[in-house]
Amino acid sequence: MSSTEQGTSSAAPAEPTTAPESAAAPEVPESFYYVHGKDKVVHKVSAGALQHSALIHGMISNLGYTEEQAKANPFPFENIDGDILQMVVDWCNQHKGKPTPPEDTNLPKQKEKLFDLVLAVNYLEIKELLTYCCKQVAMMVKGKSPEEIREIWMIPTDAEDEAAEKEAKKRAGKEAAGETAAAAGDAK
Amino acid sequence: MKLSKYPHVVQKEILDNLEYPELFLLSFVSKNMITLIKSSQVQRFKSINYISYDCCLNNQLIVKISSEHNEHENLVKIVEREETDNDYFPLNVSGKMIDFQLSRKCKFPVAAYHLYEKESVIQSIHNYFIHLFGDSMEYRWKTDDCKTPIPQLQNLSACITVFISPIHGDMKTLENVFSSISVLKSVDIFAQFPTEPFSTESKIYKAEYIRTNQLNHNVPEVLRYFQGRQAFLSFGLFEISDLIEFVNSWKSGEAFQKLEYLEIGLYSSVFPLHQVLSGIKAKYIAPTKKPPTHTLPKVYIANDNKENTDPIISHTYVVRESDGHVASVLIREKKLFFGVWDMREEKFLRIFEFSMVDLIYTESVKALVQVSVRYGVWCANTAYSNTEPYDNMH
Repeated sequence: MSSTEQGTSSAAPAEPTTAPESAAAPEVPESFYYVHGKDKVVHKVSAGALQHSALIHGMISNLGYTEEQAKANPFPFENIDGDILQMVVDWCNQHKGKPTPPEDTNLPKQKEKLFDLVLAVNYLEIKELLTYCCKQVAMMVKGKSPEEIREIWMIPTDAEDEAAEKEAKKRAGKEAAGETAAAAGDAK
Repeated sequence: MKLSKYPHVVQKEILDNLEYPELFLLSFVSKNMITLIKSSQVQRFKSINYISYDCCLNNQLIVKISSEHNEHENLVKIVEREETDNDYFPLNVSGKMIDFQLSRKCKFPVAAYHLYEKESVIQSIHNYFIHLFGDSMEYRWKTDDCKTPIPQLQNLSACITVFISPIHGDMKTLENVFSSISVLKSVDIFAQFPTEPFSTESKIYKAEYIRTNQLNHNVPEVLRYFQGRQAFLSFGLFEISDLIEFVNSWKSGEAFQKLEYLEIGLYSSVFPLHQVLSGIKAKYIAPTKKPPTHTLPKVYIANDNKENTDPIISHTYVVRESDGHVASVLIREKKLFFGVWDMREEKFLRIFEFSMVDLIYTESVKALVQVSVRYGVWCANTAYSNTEPYDNMH
């Protein structure tokens, strides 16, 4: 598990607290990297834990950062809320080097949190966690009627879809007309 | 939580985690949802072998999905409406409003109909399945009710269990029900009591698969009129001359052209091996040669859950005069097996030669080689097969 402290928007982040080491110390000293979300809180995460994320793993495998360089250059994930990134980091730490269990009961139960978590996990390409999250999202509609499903997943009605499509066409038409007018103006 | 905000790959993963009843209900939410389901679940829908309507007690139908991964998954139940229930919600099913309910007892939706609209409700639900699962899906109507006509639905074949006895209705009603069926997949007949004969034109003889348990081998006369692919017959009383007549009829090419497999079991007596083999003028392969194994996927998997026909390994065979095709014949006490090969005698004999070469090869490298043919599977080295080899020579 990693702990965090409030970061700032400055280039050099505050010193983060180190995640507790596992009981069995690794033979080779483990390297650490730093990530922060929208709230700028910096999380120190081991390379082993970050292996769950195909995106970050791909990034770090080419960098060859030293500890100092990694600390000075945390990976910014401005599109991920701080609490969501915290959940992701916690999950990666908990499942570091372990086979992932078939179920994960520690996922958020609140709809909006789960929704944001799914987006973050998909962006960070954490396959196993995405699978758990999607299972959880699917469970939400078990035993529900179509109207209840619509409400839970906020699925538009056919009329709403048609209206949105018309609106999009109208907008696209206006933009095309605008571009044509601008092009004509340039030609003059 | 807006499902539409997720990228397609995530939407697909979520839908992959839904079971069929949930996908079915989700499909009613909007037209875009049906499109998403159909585009994201192509592989899952491809793995469906068939969808069955299982007729149960009290006019209930349970629609089940049989796939490569799961033998049967319940999809929806169709029942007569209980007026005391008040938790129905209407859904537009192919243009017809049908009341559904979700109960804790069933883990799948229940569609309810008034008796006067039963047929139209089933028709609408079936049309909806065609729309959702595609128009190439196979549907089976499974019933043991031979008094109620089977609906005429697209891609639907019937799988019927028939009990023939005075208490189970007259032959006329039975024949009428059979004649109303457009495609008869399988018939399972229990005819333990003497009854009137079936019409020689009876639809039962056109079933792809027939299994009988009959006291008298002439009721029904499968050995004379069957036009389907696979027959599994059990007889109490039996005339050897009728068996010889059947084989000779097959050899002439005038009848049983589609037959792939026949299995006859006798209740008590045993087949007179030499009388049968001489009567059918069987041909023999030298006992030093290793015969190939004839086995086929069953057209219909019955309660025994066996997916394939019993393997036939025999040095005895007969040849169809019209096209030179071969059938292996095996007699084993109370059982007779007749397996038709999709190959002419010349090729069949070459396989014998080849199997000898191959046997030596497999013995030396300890590998199993299997060659599939359209109507059968030939196992080059049966020593590694789990099945006990059957042979008239043993």
